[in-house]
Amino acid sequence: MLNNIIKAYNEAVFETDSEAAFSVVNQALADGITAEDIVFQVVIPAVEEMMSRITKDPDTNLAQHFMTAQIAASVTEKMLEKFQHPPEIIGRVVIGTASGDLHSLGKRIVMGCLKALMVDVTDLGVNVPAERFVDEAVAFDAQVIAVSAMMVHTATGPKGAMRVRELLRERGLEDRIRIVVGGAPYRFDEQLYKTVGADAWAADGVSAGKVIINLIREVRPS
Amino acid sequence: MATLLVRSEQGTLRLQLAAGESVRECLDATDLRVRAACGGSGSCGACLVRLEQGEANPYTLAEYLKLTPDEREQGIRLACQLRPLGDAEIRLEHPAPPSLWHSIPAENLAAVQGRRPELDRHIYGVAVDLGTTHIRVALWDRKHGKRIATRRGPNPQGVFGADVLNRLDAVQRRPQRADELAGLARNAIVHAVRDILARDVGEVTPMLAEIGQVMIVGNTAMLALLSGHGGTALLEPDNWQSPIDCRPRNEPDWHTLWAMPHAEIALAAPLAGFVGSDLTADLIASELTAGPPGSLLLDVGTNTEIALWDGSTLHVTSVPGGPAFEGVGIRFGMAAEPGAICRVRPEGAAGGYLCTTIADADARGFCGSGLADAVAVLLGTGVLKPSGRFAVPPGDGFRLDPANPRSALTGGDVDAFQRAKAATAAAMAELLKLASMGWGDLQRLCVCGAFGRTLDITHAQAVGLLPPIAPERVELRADATLAGCERALLAEDGIALLAAVGSRSHAINLSQIASFDDTYIRHLRLRPVPPVE
Repeated sequence: MLNNIIKAYNEAVFETDSEAAFSVVNQALADGITAEDIVFQVVIPAVEEMMSRITKDPDTNLAQHFMTAQIAASVTEKMLEKFQHPPEIIGRVVIGTASGDLHSLGKRIVMGCLKALMVDVTDLGVNVPAERFVDEAVAFDAQVIAVSAMMVHTATGPKGAMRVRELLRERGLEDRIRIVVGGAPYRFDEQLYKTVGADAWAADGVSAGKVIINLIREVRPS
Repeated sequence: MATLLVRSEQGTLRLQLAAGESVRECLDATDLRVRAACGGSGSCGACLVRLEQGEANPYTLAEYLKLTPDEREQGIRLACQLRPLGDAEIRLEHPAPPSLWHSIPAENLAAVQGRRPELDRHIYGVAVDLGTTHIRVALWDRKHGKRIATRRGPNPQGVFGADVLNRLDAVQRRPQRADELAGLARNAIVHAVRDILARDVGEVTPMLAEIGQVMIVGNTAMLALLSGHGGTALLEPDNWQSPIDCRPRNEPDWHTLWAMPHAEIALAAPLAGFVGSDLTADLIASELTAGPPGSLLLDVGTNTEIALWDGSTLHVTSVPGGPAFEGVGIRFGMAAEPGAICRVRPEGAAGGYLCTTIADADARGFCGSGLADAVAVLLGTGVLKPSGRFAVPPGDGFRLDPANPRSALTGGDVDAFQRAKAATAAAMAELLKLASMGWGDLQRLCVCGAFGRTLDITHAQAVGLLPPIAPERVELRADATLAGCERALLAEDGIALLAAVGSRSHAINLSQIASFDDTYIRHLRLRPVPPVE
């Protein structure tokens, strides 16, 4: 039966049909499948499939990519409410857009994928000062600070990721906390993440999930 | 509509001629313009053409005065006097040098009432709609309330980037560029005015001195860049709610550079850092607040601006949907110029499509309304799926006309369309939510800007670009911004008229609305808009 559910769910996700995806999941619950199985057997493999598809074809349709990430996040959120025991969390991330940047969509997609992959995410919102990134990362015991910047001046400016790096160094936190960046300027210059002091970057919201999990494992070996 | 074939060294141009329209009027909206210096009165005699086929009005008095009997014998006519009675063919031997400035076709101009009979000096005035992509200019005799001529041409700041951010960034990186960008726009405006004076009046320098006012509306960044202040303050979101200085820097220099010593130069103040005075002008032209509660106005462009009148408050906002609706970023995208596919219909049982183009010319690509129509029609025939995928991947794009490669629509084009329409629709939904309204409360919808007058409303509704409202309640207004600016130019106190709209408006920054991203994603599918939540 699970195979049929996986097939129907993947079909709904491929068609970016959120209503159909939810009706597959609700039917599965009604048929006695647990919320845990739905997340681990159905949703997460679908996200992983989506990641590999996007890695293979970087020109994939962005609208479809946003919609599929959104379906994964909202299904996971609904299922988590039904979990018997709190799920085991892979790690913690604080995320926000750089100081001066109000473009929140990329962050929204990354958050959706991380939630679906069992990473605990704290959203710091938009236009986040560097100090706040670091303070909140410490407060939440996060392994990764994710800084999204869609404009050249917010990606490379002194108030963004660059300042976060300085603060981590000044406070002696570089062993405990990694920095990941994302946004259009990093796509145009694949070495730019190093210039701004980040440990890694991701080309899109979906592959960010994988990159962030790798960073978490660097500082928090499981 | 009759067909006018124009032969010249540059090839043959096929144009649609409205009843009563002169050949010159028809050509003024194209690249192939006749020589001219009198505004079409027939007094300069420069616009010679030869009528080779077709019936036309008899020779006019002006033609008897300006043409020799030999010339008349050979079928030579003055293009400004020549009004074909049906299909016709002409030859143009010596066209005017090419210019970036074209007349705005009459069907894209609003009738604007107003005059300033009390003026006895400097009676001329210029209205300017300073767009990111195009600049529109109208010259008026303010005393007699007469529009002398209009022009539309590209904003030359485009070399620094198609969108506003790239231009602001260029200034941020090299502050001395502020002067360069200001100069480009300033020169473009005066070129347009000089082109009008040279061709439609016949006198340039003395007339420039008779111009008493230049009224300029535009988005905030364009006004700030034109002013010479550079506008980099706009890169800091903290400044978006505070007034942005858009007064011309070194105004006396402008008078010298423009050779308009008596012109009062007014850059109409924007409504907020992210909502310009182009929206103010739209609101004046559409009289949105005189209408019922639930009146919505969209000004579609690279940055789409939106206003909602709920009966007591005018909620205004803007959303960066991207330039897809202006034909930019689309494989075969183009402006709404001759040859642009503006409508698409399924044709025949064999799965064919009929593409209508502007001026009936050979299809060269899609303008905004053609893009929306193509997506809607392909969705209807099942070629496209609601996700935006093609049912069968078409390889190098799906050709609506198998014989014409420039009629192809690619997956990337559909993606750009989806993102632009989702941003627009999501912004409308968020404004309605703030006003505690839903789609069903909409009584009136004004669509200004990029789509012009060719947008198919039911198709736009089927793909979720426009809300579900009876098509007769939708107004397509091609040049509302210029019309509103002209109204301000002709008002006794235009600045006060513009300011009055500003004082009623409440600017909303969508990037501070937490639900906007989710709403945007909900609107990405190709289907009618989902309910406002």
